[in-house]
Amino acid sequence: MTESINIVVFIKQVPDVPSIRIDEQRMTIIREGVESIINPLDCVALQAALELREGQGGGNITAITMGPPQSEEVLREALAAGADQGILLTDPAFAGADTLATSHVLARAVSKLRQFPDLLLCGMQSIDSDTGHVGPQLAEELDLPQVCGVNEIHIDGKSLVLKRLSDGFVDTVRVSLPALLTVNKDLCPVRDLSLGEIEVAFSQREIIRWTSSDLNLQRDEVGLRGSATHVRKLRSPATRTGGKIVTGSPQTIVDTLIQKLESMSILDEEDGN
Amino acid sequence: MRKTEINKIPGRVWVFGDYREYFQNRITLQLIAKARDLAETLNTGITVVLLGEQIHQYAMEYVAHGADTVMVADHSNLKEYEVETYTTVLAKWAKEYQPEIFLAGATSFGREFFPRLAKRLSTGLSADCVDLEVDPETSLLVQTTPSFGGELLAEVITPDRRPQMATVHPGIFREFPHNSEAIGRIIYPEVDVFSEPRVKVTRSRPQSKGKVSLEDASVVIAGGMGLGSKGQFELLNELAAILEGEVGATRPAILAGWADEDRLLGQTGKSVKAKLVISIGTSGALQYTTGIQGAETVIAINRDPNAPIFRIADLGLVADGKTVLPLLLETLRRRI
Repeated sequence: MTESINIVVFIKQVPDVPSIRIDEQRMTIIREGVESIINPLDCVALQAALELREGQGGGNITAITMGPPQSEEVLREALAAGADQGILLTDPAFAGADTLATSHVLARAVSKLRQFPDLLLCGMQSIDSDTGHVGPQLAEELDLPQVCGVNEIHIDGKSLVLKRLSDGFVDTVRVSLPALLTVNKDLCPVRDLSLGEIEVAFSQREIIRWTSSDLNLQRDEVGLRGSATHVRKLRSPATRTGGKIVTGSPQTIVDTLIQKLESMSILDEEDGN
Repeated sequence: MRKTEINKIPGRVWVFGDYREYFQNRITLQLIAKARDLAETLNTGITVVLLGEQIHQYAMEYVAHGADTVMVADHSNLKEYEVETYTTVLAKWAKEYQPEIFLAGATSFGREFFPRLAKRLSTGLSADCVDLEVDPETSLLVQTTPSFGGELLAEVITPDRRPQMATVHPGIFREFPHNSEAIGRIIYPEVDVFSEPRVKVTRSRPQSKGKVSLEDASVVIAGGMGLGSKGQFELLNELAAILEGEVGATRPAILAGWADEDRLLGQTGKSVKAKLVISIGTSGALQYTTGIQGAETVIAINRDPNAPIFRIADLGLVADGKTVLPLLLETLRRRI
């Protein structure tokens, strides 16, 4: 089982969601001053690819991202982590894509690779849009089997034996290669990159860039025009309005609470006191 | 049933009938209830599509809970929930019968197979919706879905392609009661099921022992970091036992190891529709409060009077949970 393995990892540059703020007037995200990062689950996918390559004693890892020119940064980080090549799919026409249009561009890029990969890995979902659709839709377009939410991977000849959590069950799954997996956070811990490695990746390595025309894509297949869904509006989550606020000694608080539970018939009322 | 009759199926709002763990998993019934609203606005009916082997009993259940039509594919190769097989059967039906809307629960399986189906049908899909409505002017389905970790809600539409597909967060909508007098049609269109799945589940074991699900509990006691320690957090179990409720937790409390992942409330966890939530030592981050928004009454205990949790609580008690919880338990024990 020392056959080398050819893996593609799909990564997405996302805003660091916990630090975003909302412009309440315009109902948009304030991106200024917010760091861009690799989607955390995509880091797990990348780490898994590195470990599988090591376990097989060799192979090739290609990191692919679609996004504006600055998403090149996440590919450089992937190179620093140990990916062999990075491919940036970038074109103004790709902007505004939903998962249908995004998976189409990614699928086209995979088909353009010199060698069709044995394994395609994605994070289970992204922290910004949170859909988890791109993996399965990519598998559909490339006619590959898919397994989502994987937290253990073993290679067994021409197939994989996997574990995943699904609707309250721990499943052991066998899938033939080539296949697409989406991974969850329990698959493996993510190694921190040393700054030295990052600097090398930033300075020396070539990033491959493909646009619409390189991928032979028409305007209406990609971006907003190639998308089935549109975001009509963004709004704040509906809020409840706060009610009565009570302060006082712990005993007052407990009494108030018990009274409320009695009035809701969650506790039976007590006679006397 | 002859084809001409099948083509007259009135229900163009479709619901994927997920009957696994039927008595715990109410998502299909919740979707049928919501589909009723949507179907009325669109002047059509509800069709539940049901795939499996020997599943007639579930078809009857769906009618009793409000389905107008149940389309059943009964085949031994459909016994296991398998993404590619299910996609093939449902894509064929959707092309033939052209539903306007197609909903599935945002279960692990729903979120794995619906994207593949949407792709095969070249149509749009929104994920884990928390609200659905038909815009009366455009007749389009407005799919409200959380984005940016629940900080914002996006209203998504699928203007030109059909069906308009969505997965829906469990526990958001309320099911109709069982009505054994309800009348509906159960039909068995012909299906062709290929049987060479490339993905095989060789073993499947339950993840944890079956407690009452949080989504269905009528009282939920929720705790967060304000409780200070695992020992304090575990007192919630006693309170839950007295009030016949279930314990839920915020993400930080779960990360601290105070509760299991299946107790998680909020955006990436469960949403409750309890009669009462008592939320103790939780500051009220949005990621968490989205999970308790649906409760009828929220009582919050937090020592910081400015904590955001008080902006959504019907009754806010300003106190340290660490002090109040033992005192409350002591008082309640004396009453029993």
